[in-house]
Amino acid sequence: MTLLESFKMALDAIRANKMRSFLTMLGNIIGIAAVIAILAIGNGATTRITGTFNDLGATTVSLSVSNNASNDEQITDQDLQAIKNTDDRVTAISPNYTLSGFAAASGDEKTALIFGGSPDLQRTSNVMDPSLVSGRYFTQADYDESAPVAVISADGAKSLFNNQTNIVGKMMTLRSRTTSISVRIIGVTKSTADKFQGAVRRNSFPVYVAIPYSTMKLVSINAGGITDVTIKARSRNDITAVSQNTVRLLETRHDVVGQQLYTARNYLSALDQVDNVLTLFVEFIAAVAAIALVVGGIGVMNIMLVSVTERTREIGTRKALGATTRDIMIQFLTEAVILSLIGGIIGLMLGIIVAESVAAALAITATITWQAIVLVLVFASAVGIFFGIYPARKAAKLNPIEALRYE
Amino acid sequence: MSLISLTHIVKTYRTGDETLHVLKDVNLTVNTGEFLAIMGPSGSGKSTMMNIMGLLDNFDAGVYTLNNQDVTHLNENQRAHVRNKEIGFVFQSFNLMPRMTLLENVALPMVYAGIGRGERKDRAADALTQVGLGDRVDHQPNEISGGQMQRVAIARAIVNRPAVIMADEPTGNLDSHTSLEIVRIFQELNAAGTTIVMVTHEPDIAQYAKRIVSFRDGIVQKDEPVANPPQLFSQEVSS
Ligand SMILES: Nc1ncnc2c1ncn2[C@@H]1O[C@H](COP(=O)(O)OP(=O)(O)O)[C@@H](O)[C@H]1O
Ligand SMILES: [Mg+2]
Repeated sequence: MTLLESFKMALDAIRANKMRSFLTMLGNIIGIAAVIAILAIGNGATTRITGTFNDLGATTVSLSVSNNASNDEQITDQDLQAIKNTDDRVTAISPNYTLSGFAAASGDEKTALIFGGSPDLQRTSNVMDPSLVSGRYFTQADYDESAPVAVISADGAKSLFNNQTNIVGKMMTLRSRTTSISVRIIGVTKSTADKFQGAVRRNSFPVYVAIPYSTMKLVSINAGGITDVTIKARSRNDITAVSQNTVRLLETRHDVVGQQLYTARNYLSALDQVDNVLTLFVEFIAAVAAIALVVGGIGVMNIMLVSVTERTREIGTRKALGATTRDIMIQFLTEAVILSLIGGIIGLMLGIIVAESVAAALAITATITWQAIVLVLVFASAVGIFFGIYPARKAAKLNPIEALRYE
Repeated sequence: MSLISLTHIVKTYRTGDETLHVLKDVNLTVNTGEFLAIMGPSGSGKSTMMNIMGLLDNFDAGVYTLNNQDVTHLNENQRAHVRNKEIGFVFQSFNLMPRMTLLENVALPMVYAGIGRGERKDRAADALTQVGLGDRVDHQPNEISGGQMQRVAIARAIVNRPAVIMADEPTGNLDSHTSLEIVRIFQELNAAGTTIVMVTHEPDIAQYAKRIVSFRDGIVQKDEPVANPPQLFSQEVSS
């Protein structure tokens, strides 16, 4: 008897008992749907979380000075230069100072987030898109002279200048609660609001402005010594070494070794924690899935045993007509595998539907991999074989006369 | 040369410490082309004998030769092949597969013989035509009468062109009119050369065979030819 024949027989038998077969499949359906859905959602969430970390800067080190530090112990421009020059894993370094203030040009004053930094700010900033639409970024020369120059985000520029776009060279006023200065716009970067799509209403979005930190000192009385610094490392693997090295260097330069005045933070440990949680999550799901599939498998075995008993006469007749032990064995094993596999396929489809709907609700992308699909189907077949063998052997070993006599 | 030769067959059942001697040194020879009826009261060992001849059951002593092959010591697998090739079974309760069409039912022995789909279909349709059901190939067993079901079973029994048809009480579940219909088909097949062994406890049915072997308490009590058995297939027997 060919495999195709036993396949057809198995499908006939399953079709003859639709309701019972479906109930038997439920274990597999639910188990596999859960696995597929949770894996897909988990993958989507992981992508989203690591994406967020990368946005925030997986290669970023944040350096800060303790409130207990004296004036001499504040970080200086020379310190920053020294860090950059002595450690080639550092690709950019900038003071990190944000002022919540106001900006005005011809019309109304708008709220503004004003970032002060070195020319490296273009590369260290996590919030302002560094790509220039027109003009230029400020330079070391601008920084050294405390030049009254500013770079503005395109959407901010539009709101200040009545939708005009050609505004490089125009003047605007930046104001803190105490002081205001007039600055010349030297560059326009891409819109920042794009990055926060949907998160904030566009018209209430502040104007983003970047100026040299030296110029910041002219508008904000709080901006003095450097208390916060952002460092970009070459790669994610470098950030631990960069963090340690920077702190050591600062402590040596200010002669405060061991006093813990300087702290370097990075997202690596947080990222590791997220990784751990996600791994644990996946392992947990794997365990739940295994239990669900074993329960499903027991269901398959149970129904196959019932089926063997019900079809005892059929088995006897088939044997009389020339079916060998192997023929009967294959017939019932095929039935168990198909039962299990159909459950697996229905579960797979259900899982994909659930994953897509949940992902849509959470605004993430469900990631269903081919590996997961193949794994699930192979596993479902394996469950069918494992739990089908005992009933199939029982059927195959029936004594033909006793089977024929069975009422 | 005999088709079936059973010599000194002994069959006992042991239940607890009791030993039941069902067949006590039975000898039976069937030649090609015979139509043999096995008769006897209930419990005399007819079915046991039939199951042994059909290679469905073992026996404790004796030698069995079928179609020039010593089949006394075959294993389960070899017996399945011999059953498939040499023997066509007809059961009292028809034993059709309920969810298969008549054509699929008749084709089943050929599935186990490894015959291809196309040939199976043709031969199964031919066999159904031979028993007068050529127009019912796509019907299911629950759509036809008992007599028709037994005709399907006969088609299934002859489809692999076996050396012998073995029927255990083939008319046991049928009324007398339908029973004669079945016997008529047996006579037709026999006239065309098929060897038939039929168990029955009804003398009315046995009289149509060419030879009657009577069992009693596990031994062959009588074994004699039937002088001029009435021919059913020349007459019109409508269904
Ligand atoms: N599996 C078995 N175990 C014990 N006794 C059996 C078994 N099969 C048949 N018998 C006994 O063997 C005897 C012959 O049975 P059987 O061949 O079926 O008779 P028949 O077909 O002539 O009515 C009966 O007494 C029956 O009870
Ligand atoms: Mg009997």
